[in-house]
Amino acid sequence: MWVRPFVHDVTAVTERVFTSLGWVTAMNPFEVLGLPAVFALDLKAVEKRHRELSRTLHPDKFVGAGASERRHALGKAVEANEAFRVVRDPVARAEALLRLAGAAVGEGAEPTAAPEFLMEVMEWREALAEARATRDGAAVATLAREVGGRAQASEAILAAAFVGRAPDRAQLELARIQLAALRFYRRFLEEVAAIEEAWQDEAAP
Amino acid sequence: MAYSEKVIEHAENPRNVGTLDKNDPNVGTGLVGAPACGDVMRLQIRVGDNGVIEDAKFKTFGCGSAIASSSLATEWIKGKTIDEAETIKNVDIVNELNLPPVKIHCSVLAEDAIKTAIADYRRKKEARTA
Repeated sequence: MWVRPFVHDVTAVTERVFTSLGWVTAMNPFEVLGLPAVFALDLKAVEKRHRELSRTLHPDKFVGAGASERRHALGKAVEANEAFRVVRDPVARAEALLRLAGAAVGEGAEPTAAPEFLMEVMEWREALAEARATRDGAAVATLAREVGGRAQASEAILAAAFVGRAPDRAQLELARIQLAALRFYRRFLEEVAAIEEAWQDEAAP
Repeated sequence: MAYSEKVIEHAENPRNVGTLDKNDPNVGTGLVGAPACGDVMRLQIRVGDNGVIEDAKFKTFGCGSAIASSSLATEWIKGKTIDEAETIKNVDIVNELNLPPVKIHCSVLAEDAIKTAIADYRRKKEARTA
């Protein structure tokens, strides 16, 4: 059954369609938001830029406009949202920068993690599960600090690789490896956040 | 996204969760990671002198599909020879668990874990006989 959707629903539907078509991977999210294509970005400024852009493109501003102009504005708004989603996330941002540099990104293109690295990640994950089970908040915090520090170090290397000019081959390779490591760190830190949230919920009256 | 009943069943009641002594010469350990999502999986086998897998254990930090894939893998390889276990393909796991396309990498991870564990066992055995 087809129900005529509201304007907001149209945005959501269009976004899904574009995303599933992989259309978004073709755009340059930095260009869309008028930002330099670098890794180290001031996220507060990025957020402000996105908010301003969204305001100027809001459907309410185009009520009296023609159909094609309305469609164009809607497309731009969708693009801005997608660009913001990419740029605000360190992993997605690094992926976008790698793509812009001509490197393959995604499943099958990722470097294989070294056994020693995987062993370390496994030990962290086991220690975190143990800390969760024994409700050891101090242990969770210690692990989060250690892995958080590693994530920061990876991000620093990515920041040095992507400064606005095309990275050389060695920098690109290093960036791919750091991005792969960063995914494991971020996954771990997401788990920490989930545990802390669950504990907070339990503690709430 | 909805999980299939079999995935839910394995994820809620995973078989063979645990650890084998990785220093035991008859134990092979396969440690693999999913670079696209940052999850990790460890699968271990204990092999008898006749080449039959006597025991298998796993530990997976990942989504329900990753847990189900590794749980199923340990169930399947127990009692098989390492040569038989090596022929298990990720598509077998996909079909058994009805994994959707976005979760196929979980079954690939389980296949890699079996192969890595077998390779580790063989390496140990060769080192002993050499």
